[in-house]
Amino acid sequence: MNSASAECCLTKQEHKHSFGKMLRNLFPASFLNYIIALAAIFSLNFILPRLMPGDPLHAIYGDEAMVAMTPEMEAELIRQFSLDKSWWDQLLAYVLGLLQGDLGFSYYYKEQVSQVIMGALPWTLLLTGLALVIATAIGIILGIESGYRRSSSLDRGLVAGLMFLGGFPDFFIGILLLLIFAVSLDVLPLSGATSPYAGYEGLAYILDILRHLALPLTSMILVQLGGIFLLTRNTILILLGESFILTARAKGCSEQCIKYAHAGRNSLLPVTTATGLRIPHLMTGALFIEIVFSYPGVGSLLNTAIAARDYPLIQGILLIVTLTVLSANFLVDLLYMRLDPRVRYAH
Amino acid sequence: MTLSIRELKVSFGKTQILRGVDLHLERGDCLALVGESGGGKTTLGLAIMGQARGSATGEISFQGKDLLKISQENLRELRGREMAMVFQNVEDALDPVQRIKDQIAEAIMVHRSISAKGAGDEAMQHLLSVGLNGEKAGMYPHQLSGGEKQRVLIAMALVNDPDLLILDEPTASLDALTKADIIGLFRSAILGRICIVITHDLSLAAALAEKMAVLYAGRIMEMGRTADLLRNPRHPYTRGLIRSYPAMTATKDLQGILGRMVHGLPGCPFHERCTQRIDICSRQVPPQMEEDSRIIACHRGGIVPLLEIENLSLAFDSYSVLCDVFLSLYEGETLALVGESGSGKTTLSKVIMGLYEADRGVVVLEGRRVNKRDSAFYSRVQMIFQNPKESVSHRMNVLDAVQEPLQVQRIGSHEARLRRAKEVLGLVELPIDDDFLKRYPHELSGGEVQRVAIARALALGPKLLIADEPTSALDPSVQAKILKLLMDLQDKMGLAMIFITHDIALARKISDRLAVMHKGRIVEIGATNEILSHPEHPYTNRLVHCASGKYEQGNGEEIMFQKVYY
Repeated sequence: MNSASAECCLTKQEHKHSFGKMLRNLFPASFLNYIIALAAIFSLNFILPRLMPGDPLHAIYGDEAMVAMTPEMEAELIRQFSLDKSWWDQLLAYVLGLLQGDLGFSYYYKEQVSQVIMGALPWTLLLTGLALVIATAIGIILGIESGYRRSSSLDRGLVAGLMFLGGFPDFFIGILLLLIFAVSLDVLPLSGATSPYAGYEGLAYILDILRHLALPLTSMILVQLGGIFLLTRNTILILLGESFILTARAKGCSEQCIKYAHAGRNSLLPVTTATGLRIPHLMTGALFIEIVFSYPGVGSLLNTAIAARDYPLIQGILLIVTLTVLSANFLVDLLYMRLDPRVRYAH
Repeated sequence: MTLSIRELKVSFGKTQILRGVDLHLERGDCLALVGESGGGKTTLGLAIMGQARGSATGEISFQGKDLLKISQENLRELRGREMAMVFQNVEDALDPVQRIKDQIAEAIMVHRSISAKGAGDEAMQHLLSVGLNGEKAGMYPHQLSGGEKQRVLIAMALVNDPDLLILDEPTASLDALTKADIIGLFRSAILGRICIVITHDLSLAAALAEKMAVLYAGRIMEMGRTADLLRNPRHPYTRGLIRSYPAMTATKDLQGILGRMVHGLPGCPFHERCTQRIDICSRQVPPQMEEDSRIIACHRGGIVPLLEIENLSLAFDSYSVLCDVFLSLYEGETLALVGESGSGKTTLSKVIMGLYEADRGVVVLEGRRVNKRDSAFYSRVQMIFQNPKESVSHRMNVLDAVQEPLQVQRIGSHEARLRRAKEVLGLVELPIDDDFLKRYPHELSGGEVQRVAIARALALGPKLLIADEPTSALDPSVQAKILKLLMDLQDKMGLAMIFITHDIALARKISDRLAVMHKGRIVEIGATNEILSHPEHPYTNRLVHCASGKYEQGNGEEIMFQKVYY
């Protein structure tokens, strides 16, 4: 073999290698886990109504809906769900429906389930997303400062205070805040996400949204904060005993640099993992908070759907919430890979 | 440029880790700090860097500033620029989530106003200078081997050209080859600086530092030139450290130091573990005394000479058996007396014991000249013999044999003697039940009878034990156990031993020093490993040669008997 072709082979191999690396960087090994989880959720969603006693249509739409239903509608629905066909055809119809964004029809709202959910989902995402980001940021900063000044009055105060707050259920804090700020002091709106019929535009609209968001967001942050704070603080305490902190200090690094660039940066790793684990809890928390503040998010929607026994809507919400949690976890996984080189290069 | 430490005390909570350390180092000095873990070595290094967690008092004067008095901010400016430290535990000493080049660049940027790119380039140069290639610069710590991490840490310590370099266990986790490379790197790194090497590793200390200080429970026990200290330790603790260190040149079996380190003892911190302690040791802190450029803190002035023999001569009629014998033996030391049969080894021991009267010469025991062998003498010096079945009377059972020296000297009541007998039998690892105590020598194995003989010798609590071929009548396995026992007793009681043997291989394993006798003279005496590796006297040479299994044939060719084993 001449040297030119050898060289060519080599570059080809290198290309292949780097392409594989890129793929791996984009899709971590855990990507497969997500696919499996998704498949399991879809299957459950498909199987459950069909396993319930009686007619699947009954199970899907409930007795009340069936009473109001004309025989033509029933025939149409049976055709739509392929209920007269084999399980395989039913599954195919189900999957095809899902791919088209068809989650069924909400007879309570008289609208496609997907559209009903899409109207509510942004509010929930706004609330939980902001709560997650703010609680994590504040929790980390407080945890670092507190851990760095172990046994100081700041440390003691924060540990006691945040553990106290973290002990309450989300909705209890929500009710408390509602009573104080909206009822007694009357400085913030009682409920909703916007002022109805106010006709605000631009900046005023955004401010209005924020004013409505303030109380539910604060109650969610307060409850989330304790866990993140304690974890960060404990991680910092352990990290401060590590040799690399000694090395950083021996280099002449300033306290601020040691605190944030070395100890703080390393404490992000367990905090990120914990954040991923906390996301489902955050979602369930949001359901309660939204009900307390009559916030028009997925939680309120679920409440209505359960009260009205609107099964297609309930199922759709559960599916969407699960998808949201999975996506958030996936993002956390990606973030962790960026943060920890040891995971990034582990194959 | 000097680093001068006076009366440095560091306490952590209620425990005082450093209890008054004095050091003075000039540019170009490299000092090895050795001692067991927990002795305060790392704390001393951290205290100099201003990173010790406890509270420090005293004075650390460096570049004209007292490091204990200046502000934290001033101290921070000195750290990494004027003084740098490489920490032990290489695996954790680098930030796991940052590229190594960035970590080194950070060390430059905190002290100089330099662009990030400039710092990066400089970091790169330093990485190259410690022998890492450019590819490694962008890597994370977990992608490097232990040796490479150590190189990164060295590069990081040297980037700002500090005057003081402190290395804490710098080679502890490295294999021998990497260690050799890293030591080479250190040798050039310490030039022109003040350097402190903190280590357990005596060979590293010898390779890097020309001065050595032995730290124990926060005090310097002994300090001097490294080579002198290792070759001729004067403090019992230093000797203990050397005896427990597995050096390639050491021939004697490893012996640990008995007991464990306790902080905060009154008096000499080492007194509980010291076998030559006297009353004052537990009451007063020994002052540091300087002698021949060696500093030693010991009330007894270091390891005491136990036995000195000067100019001893003996002739049977006109036939000279001992001729101008000089010998000295220190506390806790084993001297092997080797030579062929008839060279005067046993005669010498008998003269020491007073069985023969010397024609000329002096025997000095614990600083006092021995004129008559009274009971006091025999309670300090005891002997065991070659054939235990003959040396223990067959008319005495175990208990009688062991008690006999106590009865002869009329020491203690009946119960006290029984107690002591059981105690020494326990020391030699024999059973102390009534059945065993009532047995007669013929009912015991050779090894057991020799143990009884050793117990009998120990009953009076001697400091010197003369062992005349104590194991030549025993099989190798029993011999090994008896020798282990003797070494253990030496650790526990600080027993000095004169071990008479013609077996060089045996002498090599148990003795600190070796004396070669030939025709009534000591022809060569010195450290066992040195004599055996470089015998000077032709007689010693032949002795060692033959002991190694090389025999000369008539035609002058050597037969290697060792080949048989391969």
